[in-house]
Amino acid sequence: MAKANPESLVKVLARLSSRELVNCFQCIKCTSGCTALKLLELKPHEIMKLVNLGFVDELAASDIIWTCVTCLKCVQRCPQKASPYHVIMALRNLAVEREAKVPEGYLKAVSQILETGLAEGAQKVVTKKMETFDRKSLKLPKVTPPREGFQPLLVKIMEEKSY
Amino acid sequence: MKTAVFWGCRILTSQYAYEMSVREAFPRLNIELVDLRETNCCGDPVKSVNDLAANYLAARVLALANVAGLENLLIPCNRCHFVITEAKNIVEKNGRLGQKIAGLLMEEGLECNPNIKVWHVIDFLHDLVGLDNIKKFLQKPLKGLKLATHVGCQIIRYSDLGRVDYAENPLKLDELVNALGAETVDYAEKLDCCGANLMHSHSDSAFSLAGTKINALQNLGVDGLVVSCPDCGLMFDFKQKEAETRVGAKLNLPVVYYSQLLGLALDVEQEKLGLHLNQSPVDQLLPKVSP
Repeated sequence: MAKANPESLVKVLARLSSRELVNCFQCIKCTSGCTALKLLELKPHEIMKLVNLGFVDELAASDIIWTCVTCLKCVQRCPQKASPYHVIMALRNLAVEREAKVPEGYLKAVSQILETGLAEGAQKVVTKKMETFDRKSLKLPKVTPPREGFQPLLVKIMEEKSY
Repeated sequence: MKTAVFWGCRILTSQYAYEMSVREAFPRLNIELVDLRETNCCGDPVKSVNDLAANYLAARVLALANVAGLENLLIPCNRCHFVITEAKNIVEKNGRLGQKIAGLLMEEGLECNPNIKVWHVIDFLHDLVGLDNIKKFLQKPLKGLKLATHVGCQIIRYSDLGRVDYAENPLKLDELVNALGAETVDYAEKLDCCGANLMHSHSDSAFSLAGTKINALQNLGVDGLVVSCPDCGLMFDFKQKEAETRVGAKLNLPVVYYSQLLGLALDVEQEKLGLHLNQSPVDQLLPKVSP
């Protein structure tokens, strides 16, 4: 059976800075407006309750935290400023720290940022008339990558355990 | 008027039509765009991985705007606009995380300037340039068009942060479209999300969200959909055909960026606005614009 883990809860709370998780009174406004409810059965109010009860380890290992679309409707509508979005992001961070199963797309984006500064590589666009264009042929200015000091500094920050 | 621009990743790497049309349309309204140089990702995908690194990346963009020495920073991407605004708040609150980030920026000799104002295309044009002012520049008003608008999520939520428009009833984009002479419709699905942020983890669901909204709009009989975010453009325009297979309906809705529409009303050539790059059937819309 799942066990509450107060130590993991502390890790989540530390990431929420001024947001007050404990204020959630289960009004379910977040879930009733959640973009990911219909398709992926994300129920933000349940996440809030589970975190409040300390079932953080289960959530950090679950796929459900990766179904949030980040539309921010729950933050907007929460009458208690409890913000399920920020809680979900804190759980995702914890999942990464614990090397749980993280969708590959996020890790790819990070390694791309380390490599080029941008989260995506430049793409060629094929038009409906099957012509191919890129920045150069569209006469768009060249993208200047960040200075050399950027990459080692970012690596250092990513490795830091500041929480 | 001079403004710094931070384009983010998606515009610079695939949504070229958005970039081209902003670069063409804005100078015609006497706005000079100055690209931020040597920038980085705003930190959006990193928010899910490492909050400190994400906020550092966002704050670094703000600090680079400070280097450029301009007080206005235009951010045409909704996600970048949100992530950078949230980091701006953190740095300005000067709490533990804010101080930490300021210290990290100092390692490169960078510093944020609280006086820099962050704008999106929508509030830049609506609040700073002004609707009446835009109307003075129009060469070819877009009479007879009936359009729907999609402002996206992250520039209108959450209000505590200070956003571009009202969270539950955003009207600025509609007013901007109306200023060009076109009609806009109100519709039940207006605040529904495009789904782009699920592309990292659940792309099927992302396509379902985009396709469902387009299908609803088609049933409404509009001439097209106006977007103002590279993610929304990607989902509704670039991925419309892929969304079609998810919703089991034929999708054929022209989708354009507001800046492309503005460019048309300013009589800019279609090719310069990147209209040949749109993957949705914009050719259904264009004859109605310039008969």
